[in-house]
Amino acid sequence: MLPGWSYVACGFLLWAQRPANRLGPIMAGVGMLWLLGRAGQMSSVPVVWTAGIWLTDLWVTGLILFLLAFPTGRLRRGFDWVIVGMSLVVTVPLELLWLAFLDDGQGRNVVLVVVNDDAAHGVDRLQRILFTLGALLLVGSLARRWQRSTGPARRQTIPVLVGGFAILLQSVSWMVFSFGSASHVLDSSIRIALVAIPAAVLYVMAQARMARAGVADLVVELGQTPTPARLRDALANALGDPSLEVAYRADAGDTFVDSNGMAMELPALDSGRAVTMLERRGVPVAAIVHDAALLDDPGLMASVAGAVRLAVENDRLNAEVEAQLEEVRASRARIVEAGDRERRRVERDLHDGAQQRLVSLSLELRFARARLDEHADPALRQSLERAAGEAMAALAELRELALGIHPLVLTESGLSEAVESLADRSPVAVTVDVGDDRYPPDVEAAAYFVVSEALANVAKYARAASAAVRVRRDAGALVVEVSDDGVGGADARAGSGLRGLGDRVAVLDGTLEVVSPAGRGTTVTARIPIPSPSHVSVPAL
Amino acid sequence: MWRATMAWMSTILIVDDDARFRAQATALLSADGFTVIGEADDGPSALAAAAALRPEYVLLDIGLAGVDGFAVAHALTADGEAPLVVLTSSRDARAFGRRLREVPSLGFLPKEQVSGAAIRALAADA
Repeated sequence: MLPGWSYVACGFLLWAQRPANRLGPIMAGVGMLWLLGRAGQMSSVPVVWTAGIWLTDLWVTGLILFLLAFPTGRLRRGFDWVIVGMSLVVTVPLELLWLAFLDDGQGRNVVLVVVNDDAAHGVDRLQRILFTLGALLLVGSLARRWQRSTGPARRQTIPVLVGGFAILLQSVSWMVFSFGSASHVLDSSIRIALVAIPAAVLYVMAQARMARAGVADLVVELGQTPTPARLRDALANALGDPSLEVAYRADAGDTFVDSNGMAMELPALDSGRAVTMLERRGVPVAAIVHDAALLDDPGLMASVAGAVRLAVENDRLNAEVEAQLEEVRASRARIVEAGDRERRRVERDLHDGAQQRLVSLSLELRFARARLDEHADPALRQSLERAAGEAMAALAELRELALGIHPLVLTESGLSEAVESLADRSPVAVTVDVGDDRYPPDVEAAAYFVVSEALANVAKYARAASAAVRVRRDAGALVVEVSDDGVGGADARAGSGLRGLGDRVAVLDGTLEVVSPAGRGTTVTARIPIPSPSHVSVPAL
Repeated sequence: MWRATMAWMSTILIVDDDARFRAQATALLSADGFTVIGEADDGPSALAAAAALRPEYVLLDIGLAGVDGFAVAHALTADGEAPLVVLTSSRDARAFGRRLREVPSLGFLPKEQVSGAAIRALAADA
């Protein structure tokens, strides 16, 4: 009874695991046919007994169907149908024919036509010959399949190959029995082999579950930014398919390339290789080329694809964010650069335009006043003097404005001169400690504007008696420090001036720090990396 | 008579790329007792004019196109019989800083303050 029950149990297990696969019902059916045949033979009810004898070997046909359909649940070739058909002919119509001549000696045979031992014996011999032939074809078909498959598919073929041999042995045993010398050793080894089939199927299923566990590892593995080569290895490991390949869709068109960028042909449908596409928004981005047998567990490739998609998506998002960040960095640098360029232009325009005209106007007024003789109207003289004074004042204001817009002295004479000039203009007493070294223009400009803005804040908010500016080079960076002895309490986030400075310094990958404890002064420290000479670009002034 | 005139009439060369300023400066300085013996609108012609005319003073704009006023001042004062250079600009001195301090010259005058008296004051201080 054991083989029957083990088939039934294994069949239902398989059915539960893979409801869409016909193998489960087929295997359960095999077990039930086996049990029913055995049970029928023990009955004393003639009809039941007859049915039991008739269908006693039908389970073998079921088993052959199972072996040939393993693991997909479908027969692959017409030849396989021939094998199943042969077995079916032997186990159903020929069995019935045999029964028609059989006398069981107890009158239970309800299909008995005429007792004829020779006819019964002849049919029986035909059955055994046909069946042995079928068994040979079965083993041949399975062996061929085993030979042609690789990796997981080959492993999966092992239990069915064992099953095929068991059936061949069974048929040989029947032949031997038919010719008069039954072998018990042979018989029991067949039993063992037949019982082994469900065990082997369970083993294969466990392997599949291990593959799923492998997928869990895969998710973890892929979490750590896989290189294409590592992705392939991880997939091959998780799926137990060393022949696995990953194809990436080339940027343009429908061609695929491997991880080395070499063109790669996706396999044809019937090649025993299967392709699992990884799609993003309906567009294939990569393909896993793997053993077709991996598709037998429908959840397996789906979860693998999910894991890889996740990794690829992560990677893509990372790359996208990186690219966007890079773009933002570049555009911020461009904005600052454009701003500086604009400031230079405005300063030059002021100089070439309004400033020149005011100079000209002042000179003209002075010239006019000089030409007045001593008899001239004193009111006119005063008026001309006032006009000249106004023009001079306007010129002074304009120069102040121009200095604020773009410090020409910075480009002309460098940072220390420019900072001195800022200190001169500050209403607070400022001590300056800046070396005479020159730095890349963008670094000098950033440092200058830090000092300028910081000193402006000192004058506006700090109520300080004095301030100090220190600029020094420290470990590849220019460190600009502006401190005062004022009231403190400044907030880098609140003042848009300081925040703008932070942005400006950040463009050069620098940092700005404001330390301003209430009542204990404020220190603004900017740290601006000095790019190595190869990276210095000198913008045209 | 000629020598007597020369005793107080100082000669000056005006170098600026702005014709209007050259005209105004010429008028103002002539009124203040200078003899404007030449004008130039860029560095090379300034050097040529200085070599040919041998002026006592050169009123030199810093913001010349091409070779700037600092370079011209250095070139003008390179040999022994150098003219006295007065630098000028429509920007003020703060725009130039150290370069202005280091250039060999009598000094700097913002353009609107250019006058014979101012130039003589610089010469007297030197």
